Amino acid sequence: MAAPPVPELLRAHLAELAKNDERLDGRGRFEGRAVEIETGVLARAEGSARVVMGDTIVLAGVKFQIMTPYPDRPTSGGFMTSAEVRPVSGVHWEAGPPSPEAIELGRVVDRGIRESGCLDMEDLCILPGEKAWQVILDVFALSDDGNLFDAFATAAMAALRTAVIPGERFDVGEDRPLPVSKKPMMCSYHRVGGRYVYDAVRREEIGGAERIHITLGDDDHVHSLQKGLKGAFTADEFAEIMDHARQRCAELRNMIE
Amino acid sequence: MSNQSAHGGRDGRGSRLATPGAMLGAREGRRLGHGVVETDSGLIATKVGFIHSDEKTISVLPTHTRYTPRPGDLVIGVVEAVQSNLWFLDINAPFNALLPMSLGPGKAEFGGARNVLNVGQTVLCRIQEVDETHSSVVTMKGLGLRRIDSGLVESLPPHLMQTLFSDGAALKSLKASTECRVVLAENGRMWIDGSADSITEVVARIDRIRSMARDISNRNEMIAILSEEVA
Amino acid sequence: MGGYGDVQMIDENGIRVDGRTAGDIRPVEIRAGVIPVADGSAEVIWGTNHVIAAVYGPMEAHPRKIQKQDRAVLDVRYNMAPFSTTDRIRPGFNRRSREISKVTAEALETVVLTELYPRSKIRVEIEVITAEAGTRCAGITAASVALADAGIPMTDMVISVASGKINGIVVCDLNKEEDNYGEADLPMGICANSGALVFLQMDGDLSPEEFQQAWDYNMEAIAPVHVLMIEALEKANGGES
Repeated sequence: MAAPPVPELLRAHLAELAKNDERLDGRGRFEGRAVEIETGVLARAEGSARVVMGDTIVLAGVKFQIMTPYPDRPTSGGFMTSAEVRPVSGVHWEAGPPSPEAIELGRVVDRGIRESGCLDMEDLCILPGEKAWQVILDVFALSDDGNLFDAFATAAMAALRTAVIPGERFDVGEDRPLPVSKKPMMCSYHRVGGRYVYDAVRREEIGGAERIHITLGDDDHVHSLQKGLKGAFTADEFAEIMDHARQRCAELRNMIE
Repeated sequence: MSNQSAHGGRDGRGSRLATPGAMLGAREGRRLGHGVVETDSGLIATKVGFIHSDEKTISVLPTHTRYTPRPGDLVIGVVEAVQSNLWFLDINAPFNALLPMSLGPGKAEFGGARNVLNVGQTVLCRIQEVDETHSSVVTMKGLGLRRIDSGLVESLPPHLMQTLFSDGAALKSLKASTECRVVLAENGRMWIDGSADSITEVVARIDRIRSMARDISNRNEMIAILSEEVA
Repeated sequence: MGGYGDVQMIDENGIRVDGRTAGDIRPVEIRAGVIPVADGSAEVIWGTNHVIAAVYGPMEAHPRKIQKQDRAVLDVRYNMAPFSTTDRIRPGFNRRSREISKVTAEALETVVLTELYPRSKIRVEIEVITAEAGTRCAGITAASVALADAGIPMTDMVISVASGKINGIVVCDLNKEEDNYGEADLPMGICANSGALVFLQMDGDLSPEEFQQAWDYNMEAIAPVHVLMIEALEKANGGES
């Protein structure tokens, strides 16, 4: 089934609100929804978290496998992210193989974590050239009311920071916490009513245009950027949201252990 | 075997909430209303809801229900698809409605239906007929039926719409306190028109009501929200 | 007392590894209305099993060829999340999930008044978040609560529970540890009020007497679960619970 049409009334109303710098739910332009983070929520995962932002609810689970290191990096472990946005999470998500949107979600979350260097791949080596840990991060949407990107990225960090390497179960030493040296955090912005807003709800996404995702590390280092959907933006617009992202990523970082 | 836990209200706890399969006793000549069916072992509830019973009728007032079209209903639809001589409308029902060119808002040249009414546009229309498979035909011929070009459409559970606005007073005070025009449609949608600020005020109230919508016993509280004076 | 290899799963007093007696089910918690964007939803925590069900619809059925002229299609998907088991499950097509989805849909179709919504579709999404043993049973139970929560008309709610055999002894509702040594498994889906069966599977080896015992345990197990389902629906829907 084709995506339902964007109601013109919604688009027009969002533009009308933007004239007075207002939003559908009364939030300020750069005001996020309350974020609830709970860790240790999945009994079968080695690290896990649930993040609730308004009516958006996601889970993240960390699992470990033993892999053979790649020949060119015999002392490195591996890291993989997979995003599942199954039809449980909204009437607009359909069954079937992962949609391009879900794949994009997983890859953007993955890049922010990977490129920050927060995971020490050498530390994941068990036996050079033969055995290393592969960290598998699964992010899973339960309820999508917008901004799955930030919810996934936040849940991912919270889950990784509490993950324990299951050495005993695999008979390769003792259990130990997964070292995660940094806290890369993501902030997402959608063009709604002509200007960018932070943490869009679903209706703003439907009635909006392009989006930008920014992942910043501990020292405001930029680790991943993604522009999605049709639309163009100016350097000034980007500078403004980058300014906000620096401040907001720091706040989010403080919410995570 | 488990019937003791199954009757509609759980006596002694003050609740009259039925759940599907709950035994509601003998028919006793009553008409069966919404959410009640008769089986060999008596009447049973088919929905979660409050039991309403008198000498004439027994029914379940559901806490959540899907809109089912009936002829004559005023509904708000969104155009989902256009063909050369008809439109398909999403009317918040289990099935899309048809709006034939002859009942549409204006005549179009062949192939020009989009110029009259395009995908994504919203209309106020009336259910003309419903066939036995529940597919419906809507009309825009009639007083006040029109394309909606301003304001916003919000949704509320259809049964709540009736409960809250049955006497008209709540709607009147909502309009007066927010200075909005509000048109209620029977398919769980409402058209709100006014300044952006006043629409935001109505949307905020609807959001609050939606969060308590499943509990009909909150009716008075919900009506109070609709009637609040703007701070 | 029988044994399976060297492992003794039931002691001489008939107490199981987790302290239950033969006929006991694991601790159960049920909540309704857990997914805000769904028309109806439920969460069942059954022992360590954690299952979430969401219902969307009835809605227009696409593509057209799946429409049934005289009733709604129940589009049921049972899925295990990748992190739901000790060894990660790779997402994607899976024969086991397909079969469970099919028998679950057929069980629920028996109680849902699908004839009220011809040509439409009711989506039932069952997600296993944490698996112990008996996820298909927890899934059917969660789906029943989610359907009721969504206001889908049904003549009854289905509760599913399984009994099996360990160390030659019939017990109700095997946990993971017991299931690893299970000699038989009899999951049943039972209508809470009518007692009719709408779901039945079995594998293993049971004598006629053992089979009867397993059957009886399942029948006896549903009443307390039904109470929890009703309480969950009352709590989410404004009943005084």
